[in-house]
Amino acid sequence: MKTVLGRSLKASALGAALLVTLPLALTGCGSKSTPAAASSGGVAAPATVHVLDYYNEGNDSKVIGAALTACGKANNLTVVRDAIPGSGLIQKVLQESSSKTLPDVLMLDNPDMQQIAASGALTPLSDYGISTADYAPGILQAGTYKDKIYGLAPTVNSIALFYNKDVLTKAGITPPTTWAELQADAKKLTVGTQYGLALDANATYEGSWTFLPFMWSNGGSEKDINTPQVAEALQFWVGLMKDGSLSKGALNWTQADAENQFAAGKAAMMVNGPWQFPTLNAVKGLNYGVVPIPVNRTGQVAQAPLGGEVWTVPNTGNTENEKNGAKIVACLNSDANQIAMGVARGTVPSKTTLAAAFLKQAPTMAAFTKTVATARARTAILGVAWPKTATAIYTAVQSALTGQSSPADALKSAASTVG
Amino acid sequence: MSTTAEVHSREVTGAMGSGLRGATKVRHGRERLFQWLFLAPAVLYMLLFFGYPVVKNITMSFQDYTSSTFFSGLAPWVGFSNYSAVVGMPVFSKALINTALFTIGSIAGQFVIGLALAVFFRNRFRLSGILRSLLLLPWLLPLIVSSAIWKWILDTDSGALNQFLRAAGLIHTNVPWLTSTSVALLAVIAVNIWIGIPFNVTILYGGLQDIPEDLYEAGSLDGATGWKAFRSITWPLLRPVVSVVLVLGVVYTVKVLDIILGLTNGGPANATQTIATQSYLLSFGQFEFGQGAALGNVLIVISLIFAIFYLRATRRAVDE
Amino acid sequence: MTTAAVRRVTTPGKSSRKQRRSWLNTVLGVIFLAVMLFPVYWMVNASLQPGGQALDSGWFPLHPDFTGYRTAISEQGAHLLTSLIIAVGSVIFSVIIAAPAAYALAQFSIRGTNLVLFGILISQMIPGIVVANALYSAYNDLGLLNSYGGLILADSTAGIPFAILIMRAYMTTIPKPIIEAARVDGAGHFRAFFYVVIPVSRNALITAALFTFLFTWSDFLFALTLTTGQDVQPVTLGIFQYIGSHVQDWSAVMATAVIASLPALILLVLAQKFIAAGATGGAVK
Repeated sequence: MKTVLGRSLKASALGAALLVTLPLALTGCGSKSTPAAASSGGVAAPATVHVLDYYNEGNDSKVIGAALTACGKANNLTVVRDAIPGSGLIQKVLQESSSKTLPDVLMLDNPDMQQIAASGALTPLSDYGISTADYAPGILQAGTYKDKIYGLAPTVNSIALFYNKDVLTKAGITPPTTWAELQADAKKLTVGTQYGLALDANATYEGSWTFLPFMWSNGGSEKDINTPQVAEALQFWVGLMKDGSLSKGALNWTQADAENQFAAGKAAMMVNGPWQFPTLNAVKGLNYGVVPIPVNRTGQVAQAPLGGEVWTVPNTGNTENEKNGAKIVACLNSDANQIAMGVARGTVPSKTTLAAAFLKQAPTMAAFTKTVATARARTAILGVAWPKTATAIYTAVQSALTGQSSPADALKSAASTVG
Repeated sequence: MSTTAEVHSREVTGAMGSGLRGATKVRHGRERLFQWLFLAPAVLYMLLFFGYPVVKNITMSFQDYTSSTFFSGLAPWVGFSNYSAVVGMPVFSKALINTALFTIGSIAGQFVIGLALAVFFRNRFRLSGILRSLLLLPWLLPLIVSSAIWKWILDTDSGALNQFLRAAGLIHTNVPWLTSTSVALLAVIAVNIWIGIPFNVTILYGGLQDIPEDLYEAGSLDGATGWKAFRSITWPLLRPVVSVVLVLGVVYTVKVLDIILGLTNGGPANATQTIATQSYLLSFGQFEFGQGAALGNVLIVISLIFAIFYLRATRRAVDE
Repeated sequence: MTTAAVRRVTTPGKSSRKQRRSWLNTVLGVIFLAVMLFPVYWMVNASLQPGGQALDSGWFPLHPDFTGYRTAISEQGAHLLTSLIIAVGSVIFSVIIAAPAAYALAQFSIRGTNLVLFGILISQMIPGIVVANALYSAYNDLGLLNSYGGLILADSTAGIPFAILIMRAYMTTIPKPIIEAARVDGAGHFRAFFYVVIPVSRNALITAALFTFLFTWSDFLFALTLTTGQDVQPVTLGIFQYIGSHVQDWSAVMATAVIASLPALILLVLAQKFIAAGATGGAVK
């Protein structure tokens, strides 16, 4: 039995439906008419933009891929992406440089950017009017070569001290803030198969990267590693290993290996980065916290190295492609994308002004957000000469940790190779 | 149908064949053409695919070749300064010694074990065919996987090897396989031997199979069995194959890169740094391609010297 | 009176001793192989561990986790096929080019023999990356990037020199009378080659083919250098989908490696069956 109410309900429902569908129908009409406008010289068919990056794995690949596609759509561009293994990127870039087949958008790990810029293979981003306001200073330093900005990173990361909350509470320890505390805590926590601390001290740039916060916060500089400040930092590491708090295995561990030790309960603390969050969160029963890396004396500023990848526009000689590439780079660095990518990938947005909004969505990133604001670029002082010093640093670290020479001597002979 | 090894020597058969080679000049010319047709495709391929890289590698070692060169093409000539730079590096003498130790250790281990296994597999026992095939499994694993697995097995604290040795009571404290400057090179050599055994076994086994069975039977009638049979029958007939296995073995081992980089990256403290790894790190770690190429050429010269000496020595032995 | 007839007359005691010897050899063989293949076992173990890394796993996968296999099977199927095509193609190409050359260098007394051999030996001393860099520019100009043919040609740089050297070593032991006999019977060079030399060098051919297959199957350098994008990706490159700069999914890596080994292993078992005894022995008689 149809009631009056029912009929009026029906009518209002119909009206509501019309109200909703009408605008859609209009936009439909609108979009149908744009091809006509296109043929009269308006919006052209999407141009292709070639992108080369090394986000080839799992989550990173998905997030970056989605961001690239969305940026492409927003700028009427089709993105063709080549995601390759990290170890092969520089090789590929050099090969493409020599055969003049560089992509339109190139991702580079930030310490490598200056080398590639120096070769003339990149174009300055100022040519395209991309704004660099509000970026953390370290990021701009990393992306600068000869006073021009060649690369911008939408998100960055660094390293800090992870600690096992339960283990520390059980031992009645609060997270250390100075080296003396770290040494004592690590020694106290070395029990059974558990070491106090795990970190990456291997013979690669990862090892140098892990050592940098210790030498920087103590006043050492990569300009000359043969100084008492750097020697003090190295002596601190040697002390940790002598105490037995740091396993000899650290000499061959990657940051991933250090994380494995920490997750398996074989280390109470570790030096690592926020990309480990997803893996750590998946471990049942692991309660961990993050604090900045301890400093030698209270009052010193914790200075951690800047990690993360910059996006650049290579010098392909094709102005149209370069402009399109710049559009993608600008879009990737937009505020919305910085926050979205940061949340999805466990990295920190580069613009310091976005920190508040970012932390609302990812409160666990507090320690790293703080660290990134004062993080230092590895190539800030040395530029293209950084790789030699990086090699010297890990050579000296390994020499001292294996007991081959004292920290001072190790640094002296390593520094002589930099010349 | 005599059964002594001498029948197989080329001297006798060569003498037999020379009588047939009395041909007219025209036929000789056509002979040559046919013979070159056998060789031509291979020579062409080698020139195309290796000619340019060899030349490029040599010229690059005399230039100041950096990452900039890839883009600009500019590489100023610097003569021998790349060579003096790399030879003057403190790590050079260490790398040279390590390369020598690594190569000698690997070849000795691979060859001896490989030969023993090849002879062992000659006794056709149950499952010998399947076992021989399974022996090639290590070569089916991508190197990234092999080095990761060995890294885990050799880990000081949690690695399977240390756990096993402790459980068996053979050691009391964990051996720092990859983290001690005194042991790391041994560990890396052992892994390289593991990789090289299938190569040696398969080739030597094939060579052993080509030695006719009746030689051994006749030999045993004369009282030559076991070790004597090996020395008088097996070894002389196996020599060409042994030569190739050893020379190729040295050439390949001297070049070994991925397994060392994967296990230790040349560490700890350059204990496993070889000339090959140092060349790679110079080129792709420090972007000094000229120096990397110079070091690579030093390696090639070392290989060449070994090859020349060895081939000359074996040729003399065969002629005796 | 052949020795074979002498052999048949054995005492029963002797044959059972031989049987026991045979079983002892089998046991020894299995033990040795178990030690040699422990890392392979460790790989299978790691592939079944949750998290995939075997740094701190148990000795046995007591709670097998098949996530890695699910990922590998769903994503790597095409890559496996690519690897197979390239490997088999490379074997065929390499053997066709190398076998005649090996024969020529072994049996003909051409003046340039030593020079060619030396050249081949030197080519084996060149670091792979040097060849890869040179090939990249050439392939780019010729449009050979991302092609099966291109990769087959490039991967043969590992197979052809090696195959020539190995086959030549075997072929120098072919008694000249065999070949001369064929030539006297009216066969030209090619017929002598196809009908006499090839059958007699079966072991050499199979060994060379085997290793060419293995070199190509495990090649990573050319796969990385000579491809852009996802069209032609061998499994060695496909595995790197799970190896990022910061995070690695080892369970998928190990599962892929296990799955990738299977078809290759089957081919190897089949090939090894063909390495027969006394390939030249029969020909002499």
